[in-house]
Amino acid sequence: MVFWSLSHNPYCKLEIITSRNKKIEKMKKYNIFMLICLSAFLHSCFNVVNDFNYLTPEVISVTGLNTSYDRISQVDSLNFTPTVSSTDQNADFEYFWGIYETNVQGYAPKLDTLCKTLSIKYRIIQPAKAWILEFGVKNKHTGYTKIVSSTINVGTKFTRGWYVLKDDGTLSDLDLFLTPTTIVPTSSIENVYSLVNGKKLDGKGLGLNFESTYKSTVTGVNANTRAMFIFTDKDASIINTNTVKEIRPFNTCFYMTPAVKAPNFMIVGSSSDYFVNNGILYGISTITNNFGIFGNAQMRDAINSPYRLSKYYLTHTNNNPVFFDETSSSFVSASGASNMLSPITNAAVTSMSANKNNKTLLYLGPKGITTFEGVAVLQDKTNPALKILSVITPSTTAFKMVNDTLLTTSKLYNAVNYTANVGDESILYFVVGSNQVWSRNLVNKFEQLQFTAPAGETITYIRHRKSTETGYAFNYVMIGTTTDSGTYNVRMFTKTAGNLTATPTITLTGSGRVTDVFYLSPSTSYLTYPNAY
Amino acid sequence: MKKIISIIILAIVFLSTACEENNFKIYNDGDLIQFGPEESRIYMASYNLVDTTKTYTFYYKQATVIQDTVFFDIYAIGGVSSRNRSFALKQDSVAGATNAVPGVDYIAFDDPRVKENYIIKAGAVHTRVPVILLRNAKLKTNTLTLKISTVANENFRLGEKSNIWRKIIFTDRLSQPNQWDANMTKYYIGNYSLAKYVFMIQATGDKWDDDFILTLKSDYSLMSFYTSFLKTSLIDYNNAHPTSLLKDENGVLVTFP
Repeated sequence: MVFWSLSHNPYCKLEIITSRNKKIEKMKKYNIFMLICLSAFLHSCFNVVNDFNYLTPEVISVTGLNTSYDRISQVDSLNFTPTVSSTDQNADFEYFWGIYETNVQGYAPKLDTLCKTLSIKYRIIQPAKAWILEFGVKNKHTGYTKIVSSTINVGTKFTRGWYVLKDDGTLSDLDLFLTPTTIVPTSSIENVYSLVNGKKLDGKGLGLNFESTYKSTVTGVNANTRAMFIFTDKDASIINTNTVKEIRPFNTCFYMTPAVKAPNFMIVGSSSDYFVNNGILYGISTITNNFGIFGNAQMRDAINSPYRLSKYYLTHTNNNPVFFDETSSSFVSASGASNMLSPITNAAVTSMSANKNNKTLLYLGPKGITTFEGVAVLQDKTNPALKILSVITPSTTAFKMVNDTLLTTSKLYNAVNYTANVGDESILYFVVGSNQVWSRNLVNKFEQLQFTAPAGETITYIRHRKSTETGYAFNYVMIGTTTDSGTYNVRMFTKTAGNLTATPTITLTGSGRVTDVFYLSPSTSYLTYPNAY
Repeated sequence: MKKIISIIILAIVFLSTACEENNFKIYNDGDLIQFGPEESRIYMASYNLVDTTKTYTFYYKQATVIQDTVFFDIYAIGGVSSRNRSFALKQDSVAGATNAVPGVDYIAFDDPRVKENYIIKAGAVHTRVPVILLRNAKLKTNTLTLKISTVANENFRLGEKSNIWRKIIFTDRLSQPNQWDANMTKYYIGNYSLAKYVFMIQATGDKWDDDFILTLKSDYSLMSFYTSFLKTSLIDYNNAHPTSLLKDENGVLVTFP
């Protein structure tokens, strides 16, 4: 409005024109400046290629492959032709098959390409263990790729079956019962240990244990090896379960061979392996590089007091194990990296001290699998008539015992062999006399006869084991007997609410006295069964 | 418009001066001579002084061995030359130590037999300096010190003060191996003493010389075994000798970390 009114004033007209010219001049400068700026900005811009689309995402479907397969090395083949389809009408596929190993430590696994066709026909040459087979499909039209994986449990004839540790009173050996299609064996290899290694083990059998990450150089490099530990009262042997060949005899299991050769047991604990010989503990810390050789004898305490570990123990994947020192009547713990056993501290509320409790440990075993709980039977040293059943929460910093004094009239009072019901019912199975298996409910103390061995048979072994492996799942209470004629029977019973079925599902038979039974498969790991006596 | 053009010109001038060639300083301070770590470690600052002092013992050698050589690494600073360049060494006396005697305990650096060893060859900036130690009866009861340092000559001036000298402590008795270094001391076997060293050898039956310790360093589980074994052995020894616990030559209780 101001400008309009001025423009109608003749005196102001010249001034207005001058002012306009100045403004136009200013605008020009401004425009040129802006132009320079814009040209500079142009350099900071780039052409955006819009590659968005709003189509339904492509779906590639692969069928005809299972999640896992069992194959025998050097014998079986991978022979698959999966069916592949896509929602893309113009799909043009290319394929690849590759395989890599699992459970690797110390080096990176490599994917080996097997072929680049839809169908694969490949003879397995990989060593026995679990492998992953990868099938890849790429739609060349869209660039979209789908990968399907299957576990290939590569085995040998030695990697699947029931291993039985047996002895004839002076020498021990292994029998292997083969289970090619189901958990029920179809044939057996008698004395498989001596058949492969050309020797038997001295002494009476004690037990078997398995370590899937034991370090050895059987493949030429120091790597995880699936190894079984065989213990007798006079000898020990670590074997490669792929071949049953001995990896280490007793003498080379240690950096310094113990002066007394009296093997007790080997267990796997949290980040450590342990070997107990003559009641003394030797460890390997498995979180650092190691060569499967057990270290120095661990001391009891800072003044190296004498000790002797019981053959019973508790161990768990996530906890250090718990042992019982028979010399001081104390529960103790340990770490494979330490040079000394660890003392245990009582919980604020506990029925009995974990230390110097003046007891003899008659039995200690796990009560659960996922939880770290145990059940023990103890006998007083001063008053041997006093026997106690104790449920244990074995925390090393709050060790809790809930005790139940056994009546002399109870069957458990006179038990001679025990096994906990691992992770199922709250029941303890035990052997009374030479031919009866009883159970005791740990909650209501109810005792029940479960099995009576036929005349002429003596029970030498009892153990609860179970596995959830697809196609081979089992949950058995195994009872081993020796006959008067020197043969053994291992009867495997299923159970209902803790009670054994009337007849066994499987019975293994052979010559000798049985002291342990272990089911091994390519997928067995050191976590499959709780480490227990 | 003029102003705009001026701004643009200014901006161009400004931008053109934003970059310039880096003017690296060329070393032209003449040729210097100084010791250093072994060649593979010259770019690792933490190793600069690692070889300052070396220990040596004839203890493990056969009686027929009457001399042996300890090597140091020496470097010419200032680039290569097209001709061989000799460098000079001298012995420095160390106060309070039993100093080695040239010609008796080691071959003197001006001895014609070894003089030719002290040369940086044409085209090179590095060589290993051999110091030849002589075995004699004195070493059975003494530990000698030989401190050597570089001497300026017609080819080289002296290098960094901290790297113009090296020291050898040698004997014909047990002495601290070179591999018993700060790391071994701190984490595995503690401070050196002759009494501890003898105990370690007797307890394990191993030499605990440089080769043995190097083997341990390459195998952690073996190292763990030995350190644990030594601790247990020491406890057992002290349990067996409650009134005369193991002490070193300075009266200090022997311990392992």
